[in-house]
Amino acid sequence: MRITTANSFAATVDNLQQRQQDLQLAQDRLTSGKRVARASDDPAAAARVERALATSARAVADQRGLQASRSAMQQVEAALGGATEAMQQVRELLVAAGNGSYSDAERANLGARIRGLREQLLSIANRGDGSGGYLFGGQGSAQPPFVDGSSGVSYRGAGGQTEVQAGDLLPMTHDGAAAWLSARSGNGVFVTAAAAGNGSGAWIDAGSVVDPSALTGDDYRIDFTVAAGVTTYSVLRNGAATAQLNLPYVAGQAIEFDGMAVTVQGAPANGDRFDVTPSTPQLSLFDVLDRVAGELQAGGRSSAQVAQTVSSGLRDIDASFGSLQMQRAMAGESLNRIDSVEGRLAETQLSAQTERSLAEDLDMVQALSDFQAKQSGYDAALSTYSLVQRMSLFQYLK
Amino acid sequence: MSASALFSLGTKAMAASYSALATTGHNISNANVKGYSRQQVELATAEGQFSGAGFYGKGVDVSTVTRAHDAFLSREAATAGSLAAMDASRLDMLRQLESVFPTGEQGVGHAAGEFLNAMVDLSARPTDAATRQVVLARAGEVADRFAAAGAQLDVLQQEVQETLKAHVAQVNQLAASIAELNQRIASVLGLGHSPNDLLDQRDQALADLSQKLQLTTVEADDGTLTVFIAGGQRLVLGTQVQALTVEVDPTDATRSALGLSDSGFVRQLQLQELGGGTITGLLRFQNGDLVDARAQLGQLAAALSGKVNEQQALGLDLSDPPGSGAPIFDVGPAVALPNANNAVNGAGQFVGRVGLTVIDPTQLLASEYALRADPLGAPGVWQLTRLQDGLVRSIGSGDIVDGMRIDVGPPAPAATDRYLLQPVTRAANGMKRVLDDVRGLAAASPLSPSVATTNTGTGSVAALRVVSPAADPQLTAAIRFTSDTGDYSWELRDRVSNALQSSGVGSWTAGTPIALNGFELELNGVPRSGDAFSVGKTLYPASNNGNALAFTALRDAALVGRGPLSSGGVGGGSSITDAYAAAMANIGVRVQGARSTADISGAVATQAEASRSAKSGVNLDEEAARLIQYQQSYQAAAKILQIAQSIFDTLLDAA
Repeated sequence: MRITTANSFAATVDNLQQRQQDLQLAQDRLTSGKRVARASDDPAAAARVERALATSARAVADQRGLQASRSAMQQVEAALGGATEAMQQVRELLVAAGNGSYSDAERANLGARIRGLREQLLSIANRGDGSGGYLFGGQGSAQPPFVDGSSGVSYRGAGGQTEVQAGDLLPMTHDGAAAWLSARSGNGVFVTAAAAGNGSGAWIDAGSVVDPSALTGDDYRIDFTVAAGVTTYSVLRNGAATAQLNLPYVAGQAIEFDGMAVTVQGAPANGDRFDVTPSTPQLSLFDVLDRVAGELQAGGRSSAQVAQTVSSGLRDIDASFGSLQMQRAMAGESLNRIDSVEGRLAETQLSAQTERSLAEDLDMVQALSDFQAKQSGYDAALSTYSLVQRMSLFQYLK
Repeated sequence: MSASALFSLGTKAMAASYSALATTGHNISNANVKGYSRQQVELATAEGQFSGAGFYGKGVDVSTVTRAHDAFLSREAATAGSLAAMDASRLDMLRQLESVFPTGEQGVGHAAGEFLNAMVDLSARPTDAATRQVVLARAGEVADRFAAAGAQLDVLQQEVQETLKAHVAQVNQLAASIAELNQRIASVLGLGHSPNDLLDQRDQALADLSQKLQLTTVEADDGTLTVFIAGGQRLVLGTQVQALTVEVDPTDATRSALGLSDSGFVRQLQLQELGGGTITGLLRFQNGDLVDARAQLGQLAAALSGKVNEQQALGLDLSDPPGSGAPIFDVGPAVALPNANNAVNGAGQFVGRVGLTVIDPTQLLASEYALRADPLGAPGVWQLTRLQDGLVRSIGSGDIVDGMRIDVGPPAPAATDRYLLQPVTRAANGMKRVLDDVRGLAAASPLSPSVATTNTGTGSVAALRVVSPAADPQLTAAIRFTSDTGDYSWELRDRVSNALQSSGVGSWTAGTPIALNGFELELNGVPRSGDAFSVGKTLYPASNNGNALAFTALRDAALVGRGPLSSGGVGGGSSITDAYAAAMANIGVRVQGARSTADISGAVATQAEASRSAKSGVNLDEEAARLIQYQQSYQAAAKILQIAQSIFDTLLDAA
């Protein structure tokens, strides 16, 4: 094929420009360190980069939510820890009050101290989380969730938990009603109580379950009759008489019926009545403390009545204490879960960043050798151009 | 036999050599002129004369000057150059389009993701004003980025228009010069010799013109060339020129189209008829890639805005008393553009009316639609063509297709009316944040669940979602399980009066939500007989974050491009960041494709040009050799004269 002068010069210039552009492109890649600077460099890789970036940004946002949850749960756990310590002190005071040699004044003193601890527990229950909410506000509450009213402490909040999105749904608050107002009354299965009009000579203990399969869940009553110096008792079930009718009473001996065993101590008067009812999960810690403090501060009570107060009070305090411990364990479990979610989020973020880097970043070694090759190619083109263009017949026709 | 014969031989030889030298000199001086064809002197032997002792030759004649020119190669080079110019101009514009969809943190998808991520912070602290301010700031960022991308697309459109005008002006100039050259060539054709330089100039003008617009030529008997463009429209006929103009596209007033002015009447040129050239590349970019880019961007904007506003309306804000949330975003409207040639009444207004309303923004597709009356003439039936993939459907007025409702008339359009429906094209340009008060963010859910404390089973609430704005917070739903296997009875009672509104029974299985009163309740664990759950009005909306949690779930929700499933219902689609990644990759693939097409057509054009110039171009070495050759023959011819003169002198001396 004929080579024409104009065309060959034009083709060479084109070639030089192309090589220069290639060199520029290789240099750009080296300085930015990215293989994919625009979507057209590698569309599939660019889409991968975009998705990896979205995952990474999301993991960062989720970690912020996780931090909020962790700080809230740490505060809840600390609050419940403080509450259990206060309850421990109440228990010690109540045990001390059982000392038979104490006078009314000393017992009243103990009652006053129990009242003080009750106020402390109420302020713990109403503790805020530092940003306008309340730790025990459940699904939301406007003002402090626990309100001290004339009929005791009531809960003005919604039950359940507020949650924050952090990959999983993690808790931000704790259910106040479940923590403070929902212990199981009695010994967990049944509640023993002395009727209001009883005499001051006898008291009933908390009772125990001897045969779980024989439990019926009905209401029971133990009626005492004293006739001619002989004390007998009858057990009534739902108001109707049972087989245990007019049995002789022995102080300290267990009275067993339908899988339950209770013990009445002291000397019951005629017509004394003790109720045994199924327990409900609605025991309010504050009600217990109010009752115990009130009874201790009341004067002129017999030793049997004091013993009843101490026995029922210890039973109820232990139930509330157990409930608080369980809630504290739940908060601690949340913290464990938060730790594992955090680990997972950190892994997600790392893998997203790795994915992004794999798709987008330049292989330095490859790029450098590429650049060298292009550079020497450009060099060769320049030198051959300068050699060839000097050759012309006119040079020789002088 | 006389001396004068020798003189005339020498003279003629010298003249022939001289004209060959002149032509070679002409070739050397024009070696670098574009489109110059190498010229060659054609020498012919003069006829011999009979003289009784044989035929004696009479020397050499210069018959004509020809140019080395192959019409086929020239035409091939022009056509290949035209295609290469078209691909190059489209690639150029696509490279600029690519910057509207950047990767990484500058992109629109990242901004949308960050806005939804800010909702995580809102769910952690729903009452905190600073957190709410951050959410609103991110919302403003999203709207700004969409609007800026839309504005960039408008700038590209403007650029296309300006460049078209410039190229069309050049086309008209070149056409005028071709007409003038036609006239000059025709006027000298009768002289019997080809006007090589004029022909070269005309060929170069044609090559320049075919860079702008692909053309075909037909040579007439009088030597003029008729130039046709766009599949048969004549641009130059002899000495008459028709002007190319840039018109407003009748289907969409923001776009440009080509027109050919034919004695006062402007004929529209259709894009499918234009073959190649820079102008065609620009028009293909405008009508194809730019429209698609606008549609994809608009689809993202409309879907995000629609879904976010919908979720806002399902929640409660912080105003006093709390109301359902106001919209956060506003986007450009869905429009139905009437064709400029549609029927008008006496006052110049269009007779027919077509309305377009967006019903479900998550089902909008990234396409424009063409609407016309049914070609078979059925009344009340209209033909809808989806321009992205060509799907043709028949619809009636009020039908809902692809997430939008099309209302045709009243008054009904004429049978020849055409409409261009643009549900998403202008959405991104008009996107802005319309909520500025931080208290307006609806973080709270109007309904909250509660679990009775006396429940004996392990059932607990996994999630409560409000799914319909018709959920009535005045009604409390009480659900009580009647068996251990998931049968339950439900009641809806008025919250204040406890009057029973409705009741019923149902059966729950793990994993399916219980749907009542516009909410869906999902339970974990196993509820036992006698367990009770209730869903009622949120008592303390200020510290509730149910709707904020629903917003965070939008990060994964399929927001964009859902469609009807074969099993009924609506499904499919992708999340907002995935949809942006797909749009960005789509543009990237176009650029890649355009780049390889431009490389290929550029290589073909270079090859065709090399072939043409191999035939027609000047090689300076060759011309140098010819110079020597003709110089020698001139010297030899001068020698003949010298010898003839010495013979004559000898004759004179002898006399």
